[in-house]
Amino acid sequence: MIRSKPEERETPLLPESDAREVALLFVVAALCFLAALVALSARASYGAAAEWTTAASGELTVRLRGVDTRAAGDAETLIAALDGVETARLITREEAAQMLAPWFGTDGLPAGLPVPVLVEVKARNGVTDLASSLATALDAAGFEALIDDHAKWGADVRRALGAARFAAFAAVALLVATAIAVIAFATHAALLARRDIVNVLHLSGAPDPFIANLFERRFWLLGLRGGVLGAIAALGVAAFLVFAVGANAERTWLLPRLSLDFWDFVILLLTPIIAGFSARIAARRTVIKELARTI
Amino acid sequence: MPRHSPDRIDAPSVRFDRVGLRYDSSEDVLSDLTFELEQGSFTFLTGASGAGKTSLLRLIYLALQPSAGEIYLFGQRTSQLKRAQLAALRRRVGIVFQDFRLLEHLSAYENVALPLRVQGKKEVSYRADVEDLLQWVGLGARLHARPTTLSGGEQQRVAIARALVAKPDLLIADEPTGNVDPEMGERLMRLFAELNKRLGASVLIATHDLGLIERTSAPVMRLQNGLLVRDKMGDTRG
Repeated sequence: MIRSKPEERETPLLPESDAREVALLFVVAALCFLAALVALSARASYGAAAEWTTAASGELTVRLRGVDTRAAGDAETLIAALDGVETARLITREEAAQMLAPWFGTDGLPAGLPVPVLVEVKARNGVTDLASSLATALDAAGFEALIDDHAKWGADVRRALGAARFAAFAAVALLVATAIAVIAFATHAALLARRDIVNVLHLSGAPDPFIANLFERRFWLLGLRGGVLGAIAALGVAAFLVFAVGANAERTWLLPRLSLDFWDFVILLLTPIIAGFSARIAARRTVIKELARTI
Repeated sequence: MPRHSPDRIDAPSVRFDRVGLRYDSSEDVLSDLTFELEQGSFTFLTGASGAGKTSLLRLIYLALQPSAGEIYLFGQRTSQLKRAQLAALRRRVGIVFQDFRLLEHLSAYENVALPLRVQGKKEVSYRADVEDLLQWVGLGARLHARPTTLSGGEQQRVAIARALVAKPDLLIADEPTGNVDPEMGERLMRLFAELNKRLGASVLIATHDLGLIERTSAPVMRLQNGLLVRDKMGDTRG
């Protein structure tokens, strides 16, 4: 007899995806988008805070009251000579004007505006209690001074950001768990919808892992696709934010400095892989559990 | 010789030892069934609708667990086997379902090849066999037709080819001639007989068709209200 040509490709034992799987793809993509965005935000906030608190630690600002330029210079010299001080620098009116530019513009400060006399102090490495020795020395020299130790509010910021980071991790974990639950539910629904096929395969002697593999492969691809779509959307939003913040840098200088670096791309790359594996594991566990109910 | 040797050389293909079946808390569907199907035997199973024929077949092809007694398949006590071992036993059983159970998204050819795919065989190794078998059941021109485009009789022939393709040690057929014309019915019975004689496969056919039974000298098991009332050739006739 005349033989037919070999099939180009064997038809999958599970039918091609239907409308339900398209809806599931959307849900997985949305969850991956949210998870990636939360992870990127957490990293950006943490990175900015770490950068900022590292810069702030070991810095103090001394505000002198009732001093003229000469006395301010004397105070600067006195501070610089103290044990534990790395540098001491009087902040000029021009520098103060730059700092206040967001409020007063770049044309300089109004003539009559009183500007506090500030001395920026950097402590030597390992010196932790410079504020009290500074206060004692300035008081002894007859200066009325207020000392702002940046490390104190740096620690507060770190604590707050630690809590925020924990919340971000919890949010990512919750989103991943939600995605797994949704996929497990969808696998269960798919299994019910394909019960006839599963039944025939089972009675044809297909071992449980053989049947589970069919669903695993299907949901692995679905997870990967959803993850890729979610990661691309998250990348788009992150890039937009970086661009938007960069374009308005003059008015957003209080916000954390945003950028996309290597680790952000690692997060985006990992998103589909984690989604794929999560989907695969959820599908396998669901199918094996369901099949265990049969003889 | 069967393609797979039973674990014990002299073990019957099927042995039921005081087997009972009930679904949930309902009454017994099958009660106290004790019988054997020897290797290479050819047996009919008959009985009125609701007598429990399909339930009995489902027990044999391991779709159900008995609620009482023990079932031995190819000498192996099925209640003591692990899932993977049960799957291996199922691969030695070919089943023709009454409702065919063809997969609608697969072609006739792919439906027939299904048990071989489950066994992990490559298409190149079985293509000729599957095509020959479909040719033999008169569907050589419909290899790539989907089941929904086939008539009831054609679907039944695909289901029969699927049950035979892996050369099973035990063939179970539930009303296999119900949807085919008498000529095709005769051909199928000859095929079953050939499988039985040449390959040594045991064959169990459940049927209402007493004419079919009378045309052979095979032993007959008759079920009545879940009980095996007779199991000798001729007892069900007249």
